[in-house]
Amino acid sequence: MKETTQEQRIRARMQPGIISLNGFLGKDKRSISDIISDDDKQLQALSRTPIEVAERMLYFSNASFNAFDGRVTVDDIYVVETEVTRGRMNCPWAHDGFHRKYITSLTNTKNNTTVVWTALNIHLIKEHSFFEGKGSAFRLDPATLVKALF
Amino acid sequence: MFTIIIKDVTVLSAIGSLLAIIMVIAQRRLSNYGDCKIDINGKRELVIKGGNSLLSSLSDKQIFLPSACGGRGSCAACKCKVISGGGPILPTEKPLLTKAELAAGDIRLACQVKVKSDIKIEIPAGIFNIRRFNATVTEIIDYTYDTKGITFKFADGEKIDFLAGQYVQLETKPYGKVKQGVIRAYSISSKPEINSSLQLIIRYVPEGICTTWVHQHLKLGDTVSLTGPYGDFFLRDTDADIIYVAGGSGKAPIKSMLEHLAVIGCKRKMTYFFGARTTKDLYLTDEMHAFEKVFPSFEYVPVLSHSEQGDGWTGKTGFVMPYFKDAIRDPKNTEAYLCGSPGMINAVTKALIEEGIPKDKIYYDSFG
Repeated sequence: MKETTQEQRIRARMQPGIISLNGFLGKDKRSISDIISDDDKQLQALSRTPIEVAERMLYFSNASFNAFDGRVTVDDIYVVETEVTRGRMNCPWAHDGFHRKYITSLTNTKNNTTVVWTALNIHLIKEHSFFEGKGSAFRLDPATLVKALF
Repeated sequence: MFTIIIKDVTVLSAIGSLLAIIMVIAQRRLSNYGDCKIDINGKRELVIKGGNSLLSSLSDKQIFLPSACGGRGSCAACKCKVISGGGPILPTEKPLLTKAELAAGDIRLACQVKVKSDIKIEIPAGIFNIRRFNATVTEIIDYTYDTKGITFKFADGEKIDFLAGQYVQLETKPYGKVKQGVIRAYSISSKPEINSSLQLIIRYVPEGICTTWVHQHLKLGDTVSLTGPYGDFFLRDTDADIIYVAGGSGKAPIKSMLEHLAVIGCKRKMTYFFGARTTKDLYLTDEMHAFEKVFPSFEYVPVLSHSEQGDGWTGKTGFVMPYFKDAIRDPKNTEAYLCGSPGMINAVTKALIEEGIPKDKIYYDSFG
């Protein structure tokens, strides 16, 4: 699908070296709306919404924050750890301020699935239904994410 | 038929060219704001060429407001009070201003405000001490697998005047896929008494533009630009006991404070808790323990949250908070200096307040 001027601006901000070192698109050649649409279909097939997924991610990140950024076991089966680093990042959609830099790692010990996300991932999923392009360092496959989170 | 087409194309091209010329002339005339005056704190007046942002207009005159995003309107570090001449608050500023700031209407992002006429602003007096320095990398030390200490020596005769605990902003250069430089803030880890150079402790951040540059590209002899000093996290000159708490690269400002106190002498009771995950994350341990012989009452207490079997660790484990009680003898006369992640700062602040330390005596530099 042809990208709008707005999407082209967002794509420009997603390029390597603008907000993060390797950008948000990896080697994905699809338009941003196609990436979002394809992931959304996958999510719908799993009967989940981006907001549900993002809120679940935030629930786990907050749980590990409350434990002084240490490793915690949440709801008996989720082992969660968050590492905070210095600085903040802004959203490529250029709204809603900026986001702390942290990386949360979650392992669902029931099905042995591990996923890793950043604070910006949570925002991108909640506000933009964007799970990043394939090959991006912090791409989250919706099916794997749902398997790990719920 | 062919003649008509040629004629139409020629006419259209002529109209297009004329419009382009009109637009160029109009832009030059309309965006020519001439000389504008910036009144700072009612005490200093700058004359600048109008049309640029307040942030860049000030930096052109060697006045450096903090800016972690290089003027892209995303970090909000360049907030300042614009009393008059700043125009209405822009949509790009609103998300970064608090409700109180929006209601007051005079707090603005200097990077977004364009100077188009005379403007009156207020900035902290300390900003005038902030300068740009050209420096050369003279030492790179690998403290841990992901943390380096970098020493920058200033160009001939340049000297920095800072308080132990303050920070500078490091400007990166384009490299690899990164076509634009970025600006990032780092606490100074060396003592203020050495003012012809400074050291920063920089931990690698995955996907970080600046830390990747520092860890993978910066080498001895490279030249860089820094601005500073910034920040209100600095050692208070009192007789109160001190609790220091740091994690990761948060050791930098505390190192600066201790080295400074070692120079001027200090009889205050001080305890320094350093939180790390594993033994691999510990660094400068011998140097910190060495201060126990320098000061009459100082203890360095590293605490590992993820001590592993077989790592040989015999020190304290878990979180740092349970160990505070033993270190505090008079909570009302104790100050705390904290540097680390927001989670650590929150947990430690809560624990210190529970121990009776007044909230206004807890100073911190949060990574967030």
